[in-house]
Amino acid sequence: MNAEFLALAQMAVGGGLMGMAYALVAYGFQLTYAAGKAVNFGQGELVMLGAFTGLSLIGIGLPYWAAVPVAMVAGAALGWFVERAAVRLALQQRNEGWILLTIIVGLFGVSAAENIWGRDDKPFPVPWPEGALEFFGISVTWPELAIASGALGIMALVELAKRYTMLGIAVQAVSADPDAAELCGIRSKSAISLSWAVSGAAAAFAGTIIAPVTTVGPTMAAALTLKAFSVAVVAGLDSGFGLVLAGIALGSAENLSGFLLGSGWREAPGLILLILALALRPQGIFGKKIIRKV
Amino acid sequence: MKASRFILTVLLSTSLSTGAMAADVVKIAITGPFSGGSAPMGISMRDGAKLAISQINQNGGINVGGTRMKIELIERDDEGKNDRGALVAQEISSMGDISAVIGTVNTGVAVMGDKYYVEKGIVKIITPAAGSASMTQWSKAGTKDLPIFRFAAHDGIQAQMVVEQATRLGLKKVAILHDATNYGVSGRDDLIEQIKKQGGKLKVVAIEKFAIGDKDMTGQLIKAKVSGAQGILLWGIGPELAAVASGKEKLGFKVPMIGGWTLSMSNFIDTAGAAGNGALMPQTFIEDESIQRARPFIQAYHKAYGVAKIPSPVSAAQGYDATMLLAEAIHEAGSTKPTQIKASLENLKTTVKGAIADWKKPWSKWDPQNVETHEAFRRGNTVMGKVMNGRVVLANPSEKVVLEGKRVK
Repeated sequence: MNAEFLALAQMAVGGGLMGMAYALVAYGFQLTYAAGKAVNFGQGELVMLGAFTGLSLIGIGLPYWAAVPVAMVAGAALGWFVERAAVRLALQQRNEGWILLTIIVGLFGVSAAENIWGRDDKPFPVPWPEGALEFFGISVTWPELAIASGALGIMALVELAKRYTMLGIAVQAVSADPDAAELCGIRSKSAISLSWAVSGAAAAFAGTIIAPVTTVGPTMAAALTLKAFSVAVVAGLDSGFGLVLAGIALGSAENLSGFLLGSGWREAPGLILLILALALRPQGIFGKKIIRKV
Repeated sequence: MKASRFILTVLLSTSLSTGAMAADVVKIAITGPFSGGSAPMGISMRDGAKLAISQINQNGGINVGGTRMKIELIERDDEGKNDRGALVAQEISSMGDISAVIGTVNTGVAVMGDKYYVEKGIVKIITPAAGSASMTQWSKAGTKDLPIFRFAAHDGIQAQMVVEQATRLGLKKVAILHDATNYGVSGRDDLIEQIKKQGGKLKVVAIEKFAIGDKDMTGQLIKAKVSGAQGILLWGIGPELAAVASGKEKLGFKVPMIGGWTLSMSNFIDTAGAAGNGALMPQTFIEDESIQRARPFIQAYHKAYGVAKIPSPVSAAQGYDATMLLAEAIHEAGSTKPTQIKASLENLKTTVKGAIADWKKPWSKWDPQNVETHEAFRRGNTVMGKVMNGRVVLANPSEKVVLEGKRVK
């Protein structure tokens, strides 16, 4: 293999692994969209708050393995709070106020983080070994592997729970038809709240696995929401598998364009992908076309 | 009605009393990034300066024309942002009673803000910003009368040392990695110029830039690696430098990393961890208590702020010595007027014993043809430092005499 090709492969693999993080954040969009037809535009801020919570827990002496679940519980609480505070009322009034309200709650999150933890980027300690692994000349670090396996693991877990537990089936029933679900004795409001809590927990988990690579700071998630949203729109808001593919594609495309065109062009492919998806296939590449009967 | 009259009286009396106090204090402003990526430098500089101020005030203040005046401090956080820095400079220069300003970490802030001080003739000692542009902007403009002084090893000196060090290590091919800010770009130009000046023994095989906030430097490093670079010359600030170090580690690209003094920032050293070991950078001060001259300052800093490690020792020591020099200048001027302080800074009569050196007439009358007139540091004042297990140590132990001896220029 020549050096040029190896360099490109290295960039694509590194980007693809980071792209799994986009997929996980996008998965949070998917969860709340399925249940309540709304998404949290402050999802990236939940990622950031989850990372900071994890960092503080490690700071007071908790081991990483214990800090992550506690951070996820905190993330779940925040997700639930966003739904109750910003989304429910707007949806009851059948308006799009939740878009602005979730952004505002996210901005509050940034201010809170700046005041609690300061504006500086901090390293996130992890128990994984230092250094890198090599596969066919391509280096991969442990934190990168943790992102990929963690993202896939959590998504698989939630998907299984959705299919094989009573609660999961109830949430699916609500997403199919809230009124019919109510008639069957499911409290659709609780089901929606639950999906927001799970989405929040997924965001916090994302924070604790991304932070070792990117460091933790109040602005770490600024671009993440937009990228994850691009992934969700490109993949379609109802395909978990599609998210992973779209995430990997976006991550690799970013890295490659940064490498080939110069670091200033890193963000371009995500936006082009988003525009193309909206123009050519608004339901998403893996999405189902919903036919509305009037 | 009565209540409002009462409030008015209180307001009047307090304003009168502060007015009366203002007569026997010297007001000095300290500006710098106390938050954000350059905060370790800003905070250390501020705390070093405050240490000097509290020592001066404990001894009764500065003797200004026979009256003892205490120093009153005004602090402003410029967040390391150019536009914010310009606002801070506007605010301070319009206060009317500020005698002098110490500070600025980010060269861009000095470029955007210092014109307000120059307009009002307010004295400013730039420390620890090292970018060449913060002084050359005045020589290029041909400013006749300049109240801006620098107390830092400027990038010209630093680039010279980086290139010398690369040659000393026997490198032939190097890559330059720099950030896209004023600081990074002018650092890159300084490096290229120095390589030419030192006989072109180094060949630059790749020049790559990165943006503030970038966390993944693999692309830039792969290009450097593929081009056969035997070393990386770096110009940027802590967080991104740390990303370069960990990217190097990831790719197994084990070549020396030599760069500006920002490689001594705590947010480089702490974030990079083991990957940062061996990074080389110019230093004006090393936090090493075995150095006689430095010990009292290091101990006083640790005690005053309850830390075992100064976040940015160079910034702290420079903040301290700059304040001591300023206090001496105010004393020699016998006045709190900026114009007179400027004149005495340009012609200091007494040698000031600092934490870094004995400063004997560090500045002279400003000459737009020669920036060095307002630069305090020379090549001979500066040593090479090396990151080793979370601290900066001397890279070449033989240079200890430089830190120990009387570094008179």
